[in-house]
Amino acid sequence: MIRFAVLLIALVGSSCSASAVPAAPVIGVSMAHFDDNFLTLLRVAMADHAATLPGVELQFTDAQGDVGKQLSQIQTFVAQDVAAIIVNAADTAATASMTKAAREAGVPLVYVNRRPAEATLPDGVVFVGSEEIQAGTLEMEELARLMNHRGNVAVMVGELASNGAQLRTKAVEDVVAKYPGMAIVEKQVGNFQRERGLDLMNNWLTTGTKIDAVAANNDEMAIGAIMAIQQAGIPPGKILVGGVDATPDALAELAKGTLTVTVFQNARGQARGAVEAAVKMLRGEKVESVVWIPFELVTRENYKSFVNR
Amino acid sequence: MLLVLVGIALLFEAIGWSVRGASFLFNGQRLLVMVLQVSIIGLLAIGMTQVILTGGIDLSSGSVVALSAMMAASLAQTPSARAVFPALTDLPFVVPVAAGLATGALAGLVNGSLIAYTGIPPFIATLGMMVSARGLARYYTKGQPISMLTDGYTRIGEGARPVVIFLVTALVFHVLLRHTRYGKYTYAIGANPQAARVSGIRVNRHLLRVYTVAGLLAGLGGVVTSARAASGQAGMGVSYELDAIAAAVIGGTSLSGGVGRIAGTVIGTVILGIMTSGFTFIGLDAYIQDIVKGAVIVLAVVADRYRHRASHV
Repeated sequence: MIRFAVLLIALVGSSCSASAVPAAPVIGVSMAHFDDNFLTLLRVAMADHAATLPGVELQFTDAQGDVGKQLSQIQTFVAQDVAAIIVNAADTAATASMTKAAREAGVPLVYVNRRPAEATLPDGVVFVGSEEIQAGTLEMEELARLMNHRGNVAVMVGELASNGAQLRTKAVEDVVAKYPGMAIVEKQVGNFQRERGLDLMNNWLTTGTKIDAVAANNDEMAIGAIMAIQQAGIPPGKILVGGVDATPDALAELAKGTLTVTVFQNARGQARGAVEAAVKMLRGEKVESVVWIPFELVTRENYKSFVNR
Repeated sequence: MLLVLVGIALLFEAIGWSVRGASFLFNGQRLLVMVLQVSIIGLLAIGMTQVILTGGIDLSSGSVVALSAMMAASLAQTPSARAVFPALTDLPFVVPVAAGLATGALAGLVNGSLIAYTGIPPFIATLGMMVSARGLARYYTKGQPISMLTDGYTRIGEGARPVVIFLVTALVFHVLLRHTRYGKYTYAIGANPQAARVSGIRVNRHLLRVYTVAGLLAGLGGVVTSARAASGQAGMGVSYELDAIAAAVIGGTSLSGGVGRIAGTVIGTVILGIMTSGFTFIGLDAYIQDIVKGAVIVLAVVADRYRHRASHV
């Protein structure tokens, strides 16, 4: 036991002495998930952007979708005296305590990608991201246009607790409600996962309900739907499929003509915006409390320009 | 247990007629989909049943699915700019399959060694593997998905093949457990490890074998799921181990060890599949599905216990 305590003290001591050296300001980054496809793009883009800024160092942690774990990570960042914190919220409804922890310590806080549900953010706390509702609107309007504003739509919903899933779904429903010739005939949760999208589509195809378009909350589920459609022997293009994210896999499907439309969420733009907001704030400069990075529609006509973005 | 299965199926059949005006069960394609969507869970459940029979538990199988899927997928890619190993593309499908199975078996071997030779409880040993294997799966490509897989590989997951793989595997282990020494030892250790040891069974060596088999089956699950999705992703198989435990327990496997059958586990797995398809068929609100699923899992086990007790009196 004593030996263990000595070891612990030695470890703590060495890590303290390491941070005592006047080093680059450290920005602590807590991501909701390390293994989510889009969040990986975002994380890599943040690291890439920070590498171009001399004297800025990012320290990433993985909250694994757990609100409690994320709050502890923020508290740890505060305790180790980071210069600023960037949070990709695990649950957008539970950000108040993180905002409070950062505010009390006077550490600038940037929420990225997932917008906190808090009505207003206090000084020193900002949000950088895209308007989720816009993604669903762009996706569904394009599908509706290609359907000549009539027909049946099936909706694949992401994780129910996520803001993105809720707002994208609402946007899809709002667009469909605008056109009297269109109706939502199926709506189920696919948790943003390819396999779940595949299973959902398989199940829908057996019900015999006529589906003219599938509007998925993300590309992974859309690709699952495409695989089910292919395996059922339905010719590509007969059922339109829309997604969101414009991942490399989705762009490959667009090139093949199996995916109808996706929406580009600018990972690099959000990453750059978040890191820059954090750097500005730790230098004491003023930053807008919400920085919007727009979504962009991706179709067969323009997908090539998104391949390397 | 079969009665519970039939009961649930008939319930969906009845609701289905009133909601959809069509039959739930009399649709060959739907019956296939029901089993197809749980065939990976079924593979894990076969391994889980054997582990539970010895009185243990394997919490790592869902994570091992992800790790094996990543390993296999990285060796199953077509040439592209994003290939993990640009020099190792377009390999015959046996290479990734072997890599996936070996990864799973190795993880299982580590589980078994920890349990047999350090004496730590299976819950803890496999909990450690669950966390580490998931971490390794993420670390392998820094969280990036592995896509663009060869046709030879993705064919493994096409159409009804996952179902065939699941059912053949179930049959093999059904026979192994009922008719070979491997099975007798497994039941003996779970029923009474002390007695098993006294009667000359090398308990530690057998535990090592059982956990390795469970790992191997999780590896197979990883291969099939990555072939099916044509992609390896570190987020695959999350909480599959819990579904696998549910399938085994619904199927009559006792968590205290020594009691259970693969046939029961297959039925338990199919019950999970029927629920998923049934909920979609009757259009049950997504927010309610998990609530109902949890209740059905518990009720299925209660109903089975009750029936058993009644038949014993």
